[in-house]
Amino acid sequence: MWRAEVDGRRQRFHLTGINNQNFLMHDEETGSWWQQASGEAVFGPRKGWRLDLVPYDEISFAAWKREHPNGRVLRPDDSGPAHQFSRDWEAETAKEPVVTPARTGDPLRPRDVVVGVRLGGAARAYPMEALQRQSPVQDAVGGVPVLLIAGEDGRSVRAFERTVDGRPLSFFARPGAPLRLVDAETGSEWSFAGEATAGTLKGKKLAWVQALKDYWFDWRTYNPATSIYALR
Amino acid sequence: MPTAPSPSRSRRRWAGFALFLLILAALALVAVPAFLIRPFSPQTPGGLAVAFALRRWAPLATVLALIAGLALAVSLWRGGRWWSRALVVLALIPLAGAAWLARFNIFERMFAPLGDSRFLPAAEANWVADGDMVLAVERNGEAAAYPVRQVAYHHIVQDVVGGVPVAVTY
Repeated sequence: MWRAEVDGRRQRFHLTGINNQNFLMHDEETGSWWQQASGEAVFGPRKGWRLDLVPYDEISFAAWKREHPNGRVLRPDDSGPAHQFSRDWEAETAKEPVVTPARTGDPLRPRDVVVGVRLGGAARAYPMEALQRQSPVQDAVGGVPVLLIAGEDGRSVRAFERTVDGRPLSFFARPGAPLRLVDAETGSEWSFAGEATAGTLKGKKLAWVQALKDYWFDWRTYNPATSIYALR
Repeated sequence: MPTAPSPSRSRRRWAGFALFLLILAALALVAVPAFLIRPFSPQTPGGLAVAFALRRWAPLATVLALIAGLALAVSLWRGGRWWSRALVVLALIPLAGAAWLARFNIFERMFAPLGDSRFLPAAEANWVADGDMVLAVERNGEAAAYPVRQVAYHHIVQDVVGGVPVAVTY
């Protein structure tokens, strides 16, 4: 999700092409082409400019609604008969071919779903499967201690920095629902939103880290130096 | 014994040849970028640069080609027989077609852009199932969710959340 502003002026974007299965869009003002995955202008008068990232979540509707009962939801576009994907679009998309070259010894398949994190100049991919089996995952990216949590539905993922008041914490999932984490250092209880809800750290918030759910081939294309988190 | 072509015949031949080249060039202006950035094919930085340059200049260049084509057509019309006149008129069709195609965004034809984004409160969103994934944002106390099924089709949803203009992409 990008801030639709360049040089303080609101921009409108149009779908304009495709680059190795990640789409390109152009702005109305200059016609420059922007890469969806990176938010960077790759051709045109604005080449080299980058859109600001707007922190966002990719989570289940149930998880979102629980936290934002008063939020608003985009209505389907009823100007055409099929202006949204079918409910099984992910299974359909997974069958589509991949055009970026395969690499020998690649530990992941091109259409494996990963959660990508960029921090401190480093990029790291967390296979969805590893997150589902091992959540909460404590790790470090670019020297920054991070925490990745898979929600109860197994598909909603959030990432945070796990340093509070200068001290990195380690987290454990408390058995049972709803999802609650406990930190080993103070025994405080934390929610999926990264907020301490009970204990001595109550009221503290973990710093948000943007995570991008992506196909492995796409994440690798735009983060060629990425490392991969391995199931331990 | 063959006779040398008259000045008028040679002029007509050159004009016809120029018209033919013009048609090829105009069609290439729209076909080459469409080919280079077609889905399910790998793209290279060089190919993308060519596609961008052609897409940028094609709207102007194809109109110039059409104007030049009209001028040639007028000169060929004069003194032409009925079949050569018919050919000249037919030749203008691809030139006009190229000028139209250069202004046509096939990607927005395949995936209709969302005009005004309209919303309903979370409690009334009965078209979204609990397990459906959404892209969600909260800015300055305002929260909005965009079901992935809808964003994945449109690719881009433009909105203002908590005063911040956003392009939601998937």
